[in-house]
Amino acid sequence: MALARVERLTFAYPESAPALRDVSLEVEPGEVVLLLGASGSGKSTLVRALAGLVPWFHGGRFEGRVEVAGRDTRNTRPTELAGTVATVFQDPEDQVVLGRVEAEVAFGLENVGTSPEAILPLVRRALAAVGIAGLGERSVTEISGGELQRVCLASALALEPELLLLDEPTSQLDAAGAEAFFELALGGDAGVVISEQRPANALRYADRVVFLEGGRIVLDAPREDALAWLAEHRPAWVEVETGLNAARAVGEVACSVEDVSFAYEAPVLNSVSLELRRGEVVALTGPNGSGKTTLAKLVAGLLEPKAGSVVRAGTAAMLLQDPGRYLVRERVDEEVALGSDLVRARAMLAAVGLAGSEARHPRDLSTGERERLALATVLVAEPYVLVLDEPTRGVDPERKHELASLLRAQTGGRATLVVTNDRAFARAVADREVSIVREREPALA
Amino acid sequence: MRPTAAAILLSGLAVTALVATRLWAVGVIAALLLAVCLRAGRRAKPYLWGTLWSAGFVFILWPLFQSRGYHVLWSGPSIPVFGPLDVTTEELRGAALNALRLAAVGLAFAAYALLLDHDRLLAAATARHSVLAAALATRLVPTFERDARGLVEALRGRGIAPEGLRGHAALLSPLVAGSLERGFSLAEAMESRGFGRAGRTRVPAAPWRPRDQAAVVTAVALVVVGVLWL
Repeated sequence: MALARVERLTFAYPESAPALRDVSLEVEPGEVVLLLGASGSGKSTLVRALAGLVPWFHGGRFEGRVEVAGRDTRNTRPTELAGTVATVFQDPEDQVVLGRVEAEVAFGLENVGTSPEAILPLVRRALAAVGIAGLGERSVTEISGGELQRVCLASALALEPELLLLDEPTSQLDAAGAEAFFELALGGDAGVVISEQRPANALRYADRVVFLEGGRIVLDAPREDALAWLAEHRPAWVEVETGLNAARAVGEVACSVEDVSFAYEAPVLNSVSLELRRGEVVALTGPNGSGKTTLAKLVAGLLEPKAGSVVRAGTAAMLLQDPGRYLVRERVDEEVALGSDLVRARAMLAAVGLAGSEARHPRDLSTGERERLALATVLVAEPYVLVLDEPTRGVDPERKHELASLLRAQTGGRATLVVTNDRAFARAVADREVSIVREREPALA
Repeated sequence: MRPTAAAILLSGLAVTALVATRLWAVGVIAALLLAVCLRAGRRAKPYLWGTLWSAGFVFILWPLFQSRGYHVLWSGPSIPVFGPLDVTTEELRGAALNALRLAAVGLAFAAYALLLDHDRLLAAATARHSVLAAALATRLVPTFERDARGLVEALRGRGIAPEGLRGHAALLSPLVAGSLERGFSLAEAMESRGFGRAGRTRVPAAPWRPRDQAAVVTAVALVVVGVLWL
């Protein structure tokens, strides 16, 4: 008997077009199903339907039937499904309830009525399973983003669920971190449904691949068949790491970083030097916590070095990681025009694929659309030095290729520094790659 | 010390500061609470700024809205509605007392927010839903501060520097909207983790130790002494 069964599900959020159309799917116990599809294709909605959050939490029009562990989600609230189903959402900061790691992992166990004596042993086992046994007493505000993502996974695994739902759970991790995450998450007996925009890692672990487009399933096949289908019909989703782009003629130095050191409380950068020239795109890569974002902020002038110098030949602009920070106006075009004028703002919106969204409220945009809006807000300033911090977070592979082309086409007389964990994107966009390594004191390699 | 005992002791200190009328006693309580808050290091900064500015305002404005005392230190003009803007020794004493009271209450809250383990406080609470709401609200302060910093940083990254009170006030609306969005996501995550389900259990709490009991007795004694003698 299937662990989860979706039968002819059509669902629309209130006052919206259907996000899912006539979707049918089965998940067997122990099976790993990978959901792929562009931003807005319905992946997250399907995950929420399996958790019972659609329609209970979101409301909307629901037709069809979803059954999990023999229970119809129309008659079973998400709180009642908790324990049988566990979900890890995309942004760890938006799902952490309590302040201490151990209490956070215990939260779900307490809610589902686990016997009091069993709670702490289960918590400690889950923390050990995800490799953070020593963090139990730490505050969730003191640990890194990667560690917080592991806390969320531990919270889900501690419940020993029959069905584990992962909604883009590795969006903030580097390649090694994402691989470790999947190793930990997929090591148990639970059926797993993963929604992903970065398919490379998840594809290695999937038994079956489901591809969604416009709310419909266009592919539901075993992994090998799916790989062949993707290679033929959606080649962008089968990431092939290419070499760097051919060297282009570059101009004079646009930004020079010399012997820079920086510390927050602990040292982050020590005697780092970097040169960016007009007309080139440089990818800055390296593991989480190696100081990439700090170096990027120094280049953009958002931080001042404790030692050494940063010299820019003109204005700099920087796209930060969280697109929620770029939503300060009431209309999309006004948001972009904040750094320019409406004519240029609309042209830039068209360039990033948001033509037609000018009059929408920025907060009505999807995550992927917000990423593109944020990009437009910095591109419109036409800076001399452009710095982008993880611009492909939440961006599907097809959009990623478009973004790489856009950045390369717009380089002109500008120097561009792209901080990224996405190796395929780094290769696609950059003329030169600079890796930052994390040792006792980070230095550039 | 158990967070519950520490919270009772902090409440006792705050109540004593409110009921006491001797300036030195309220001053000692405020100084004690300030020393406790400083243990939190840099995290204490926004709380200390907020508390000390508020207390400073009370100290400055209090004498201007009062008309009492005979030992005039400064004679100002007479303003309609407010009357004469004289400052007397008695008014200054009243201003200092109320500023210190406000500082003590603010610092007690700061110590609660900065140094107590809210999770353990929650675990010991009978009214769990209310205490969870209070714990989440307490976390709102640093989250709000971080979001505000993030918004300003993002604007600077676009080459726009918000200036003055008006420039920063314009960020209030996106800050609140972002906070509501976060709240919605958190509520969804809580529902998916079984919050509100019947038959909830809790991690067994550690037993009360003598120093926890001593803290509670001290808190009650402080309030009694404050009412009767301070």
